[in-house]
Amino acid sequence: MAAAARPLVSVQALDSDMATDGSSLPLPEVMKASIRPDIVNFVHSNISKNSRQPYAVSTKAGHQTSAESWGTGRAVSRIPRVSGGGTHRAGQGAFGNMCRGGRMFAPTKIWRRWHRKINVNQKRYAVVSAIAASSVPSLVMARGHRIESVPELPLVVSDSAEGVEKTQNAIKVLKQIGAYPDAEKAKDSVGIRPGKGKMRNRRYIARKGPLIVYGTEGAKLVKAFRNIPGVEIANVERLNLVKLAPGGHLGRFIIWTKSAFEKLDSIYGSFDKTSEKKKGYVLPRAKMANADLARIINSDEVQSVVKPIKKEVKRAPMKKNPLKNLNTMLRLNPYAKTAKRMAVLAEEQRKKAKKEKLDKKRMPITKEEAAKIKSASKSWYKTMISDSDYAEFDVFTKWLGVSQ
Amino acid sequence: MNFLLVFFTDIKIVLNEIGVMATVPGQLIWEIVKKNNSFLVKEFGNGTQSVQFSKEPNNLYNLNSYKHSGLANKKTVTIQPAGKDQAVLLATTKTKKQAKPASLLHKSIMKKEFYRMAKSVANQVGDNYYRADLKKAALARLSAVSRSLKVSKSGVKKRNRQAYKVAGRK
Repeated sequence: MAAAARPLVSVQALDSDMATDGSSLPLPEVMKASIRPDIVNFVHSNISKNSRQPYAVSTKAGHQTSAESWGTGRAVSRIPRVSGGGTHRAGQGAFGNMCRGGRMFAPTKIWRRWHRKINVNQKRYAVVSAIAASSVPSLVMARGHRIESVPELPLVVSDSAEGVEKTQNAIKVLKQIGAYPDAEKAKDSVGIRPGKGKMRNRRYIARKGPLIVYGTEGAKLVKAFRNIPGVEIANVERLNLVKLAPGGHLGRFIIWTKSAFEKLDSIYGSFDKTSEKKKGYVLPRAKMANADLARIINSDEVQSVVKPIKKEVKRAPMKKNPLKNLNTMLRLNPYAKTAKRMAVLAEEQRKKAKKEKLDKKRMPITKEEAAKIKSASKSWYKTMISDSDYAEFDVFTKWLGVSQ
Repeated sequence: MNFLLVFFTDIKIVLNEIGVMATVPGQLIWEIVKKNNSFLVKEFGNGTQSVQFSKEPNNLYNLNSYKHSGLANKKTVTIQPAGKDQAVLLATTKTKKQAKPASLLHKSIMKKEFYRMAKSVANQVGDNYYRADLKKAALARLSAVSRSLKVSKSGVKKRNRQAYKVAGRK
């Protein structure tokens, strides 16, 4: 459906071309494959194990003695000791990994599994991913290449570059297409390797520059470009992951020639069309067809169904104590109002009554009242005596003190 | 609904034939680049205590984060000293030229006084809705760059390295 909707990549013309030769090519489907740094890392670490040369300690090392233990009773430890006499070596310990001149623990063997087998499909996925990543300027910059002056990514150069014979002209070509800063960076970065690799024939290290991919077999440019420090060359039909993603990191700066770029489609096929060179191979499908989350979220289809943003934040109300706060008490128990009112009124009543009583008691009594009280008390005393049975007896007359 | 989808894909087809790359989305690039890129600098501390800086030119705070990243965003702003004294370079990326690194930046050199430069930066970054969330960062960087240019012109402050002697005390 969207087969015709492929963006165009313009071919950079070199000085030796005619002015009318500049054209554009459609982007090959490989460059749209999913970029998977995890697969590339895994495949790269396994593939780089395949060029290893075995190393091992000699099988005889440490055993070329006829040492025997002296046993107990001789005030020495029991490890095997070298037999014989007349030299320093006699009587020294042998055979153990702890002994000087003995064999090491677990001597390294050449039949260690040096190489790794990786599934063909995984290897192809990694290569395809690396090619796709090389067309994204951010990733190429992140890997460290200087592409500020490159006119376009992916960088396609006309086929006249394949005919370049002299390295002088090769450098001129690089300068014209803006790739020279990257090669310069590689040249300036030559330094001596830290560590023992120095003395093991790996003395110098340098950064990687551009990778030039050409299409026709036996092109002259291989010899012209190969002596420039940092620059590497590869044929489209034989692309190597170790060159496309050095260090397992995606995004090498690749310079394609026109014929190489055109061949990519037939070598890798597309998402629905099988490749011509790799039998039955189809480009891997991505998990998400459209990975641009920002656009999906802001699209009309999604925004029209989504609820509006809640701008105001609902905060929990503070708990108020009903025993202290009247309104919360009333919310819980409306009768409390009348109960309180009744209590207050009753309290006032009580206060009033008490006050009256006290006032009455504290007020000085009038003369009539005092006389009344006195006479009443006298008469009560009399009735008390007469009512009591004690008046009959003479013995109590003294106490009663009332003359009859 | 169907005709809407067809409409969108038609626009994409037309755009693609003109030569616009349907780019890898920024969030995907960020996921690939956030842990491992040549500009990443981890400093001051071990593990979770360290800060992660990023040296790429299009990063306003030089911080390794999605919002400020110069690699993962289509629209970025950069403010740098421009070579001649007191001149500041303001550059924004053009969204249509993502695949052409040489012609990606919209550069302009400013040699005005600070207030005028601040106004033009605020206009270019915030008020025309280019990247309004970076307005404060752009102004902050502008101040830092201008100050550094002033310092480089008048020389670094000479500090007296002699021990300071307090008079009248034994």
